[in-house]
Amino acid sequence: MSLLLEIVRPGFLLHDALVASVLVGAVCPLVGVYFVLRRMIFLGVALPQVSAAGIAFAFFGYKLVVGPHEHFEMSERLIAVLGSVTFTLGVTLALSLFERRGRGTVEARIGTTYAVAAAATIIFLAKDPHGDAQMVNLLKGDILATTSASLAAMEGVFAGVVIVLFACRKELLLVSFDRDLAVVFGKRAALWDALLYLLIGVIISFGVLTAGPMATFGFLVVPPVTMRLVARRMLTFSLGSAAMGAVTAFAGFYCAYRYDLPLGPAEVGLASVVLGVVAAVTGLRTMAARWRSA
Amino acid sequence: MSGALLDLQDVSVGYNGVPVLEHVSFTIERREFVALLGPNGAGKTTLLRAMLGLTPLLAGRIEYGFDRLVSPPGYVPQRDTLDPIFPLTAFEVVLMGTYAKLPALRPARAVERQLAARCLEQVDLSALAKRQFWAMSGGQKQRVLIARALAAAPEIMLLDEPTAGVDHQAEAAISDVLAALNREHGMAVVLVSHHLGHIQSAVQSVVWVDEGQAIKQPAQMLGTVAAPTGFVRAPVAAGR
Repeated sequence: MSLLLEIVRPGFLLHDALVASVLVGAVCPLVGVYFVLRRMIFLGVALPQVSAAGIAFAFFGYKLVVGPHEHFEMSERLIAVLGSVTFTLGVTLALSLFERRGRGTVEARIGTTYAVAAAATIIFLAKDPHGDAQMVNLLKGDILATTSASLAAMEGVFAGVVIVLFACRKELLLVSFDRDLAVVFGKRAALWDALLYLLIGVIISFGVLTAGPMATFGFLVVPPVTMRLVARRMLTFSLGSAAMGAVTAFAGFYCAYRYDLPLGPAEVGLASVVLGVVAAVTGLRTMAARWRSA
Repeated sequence: MSGALLDLQDVSVGYNGVPVLEHVSFTIERREFVALLGPNGAGKTTLLRAMLGLTPLLAGRIEYGFDRLVSPPGYVPQRDTLDPIFPLTAFEVVLMGTYAKLPALRPARAVERQLAARCLEQVDLSALAKRQFWAMSGGQKQRVLIARALAAAPEIMLLDEPTAGVDHQAEAAISDVLAALNREHGMAVVLVSHHLGHIQSAVQSVVWVDEGQAIKQPAQMLGTVAAPTGFVRAPVAAGR
């Protein structure tokens, strides 16, 4: 209990890291619900990897053009943000264009994207002599290194994304559920799709920089998949996913701190345990209902 | 163009530049009830989608006797095209129909919610408003989608196989709703079907779709005059 009080205390040494962690846990599921509803879950694996490739490329390019970058400086984070956002948005828009033209299969495109991004990340890192442990940490998402400046930037960006998601929820739902109807209604479906992909790109970029590709993917997918088992309405689905993400992020942080575990895996592991419990309970309830009606 | 709601003028439609139907010309009048009939793969749905503006025309033009932005057509897709993964109640699905006239970023308010409730009432499903859309029977889902189309306050309703895969009772319920909309509210109805079944008495015209052509005939000629050469009569007979 005292440890819990220590963590929530404003003066806690890792207070910024805790807030960043909970923010990623709460906001990633809000865009993650669209991954689940549009059946694009594997895109949630590929895009964080693309983001990582963008970070590695940005450092590599900076070294080529300007020279070695200094670690622990704000400019390093800025380079990372630029690389991550550019790559994620570029690939997201390219994938959406391919989707509209219907060339190839979705799985093939996403699988290829993941493979290329993973390979590119390693190659860019290998070609940058400064790609040492610090940069690897940044690629993994060095949440413990979150500064108050980077946290403030993240809070601003995430708040903007949440406001846009909330304001446009009607349009995003319509184009996701019945794109044809949206077109019949004269809505610019392609524009709304592009907006959604833009939001996804921004969230993934900042999520990867803060928590790393694995934790970002985990929060994009696991809370919405869990809530889908119990939610009966869109609003509860979205808000429930965000709440679950925030709570598991906080609890994961506590476990990581208490038992000296790596943060990202602790958070995703905990979210997965919740998924397992909810799946088991809903499965048992379904079985019981069938047994009663038989 | 006269008082027609839809005027297809020498229309060709298809995919990837390959026409499925060519030189199609006919009109849909106000208050008219039209059935698009023909065998599987003949191009009925393609023609319906072209009328809705969902499939680009390869040639010709379609003139609309109404402002599509002010009063978009009511569209009822095949219910299997909608993904069951969305956690939506019947009411939420119907509410989507009101989005047609809502400006971007403006959420649905009490007026839209009341309209959605009235539309559900019109298809006799008020009692199931809170039911999960995917937990409903095929016939109920279809009526919910009709209510959703009504929520857009359309002048014309276009339906893609609304009675496919439902039992006779549900088919009769759907047919009654459509017939009442046409008869009592003066709404033009265009539906795609393999057979007419219960709805036959309400249908005024039939568009035969087959072998790259679509030809409109009065429904009174059904059964008394042979379908145009090459057209299949079996689907009509099957519905009787």
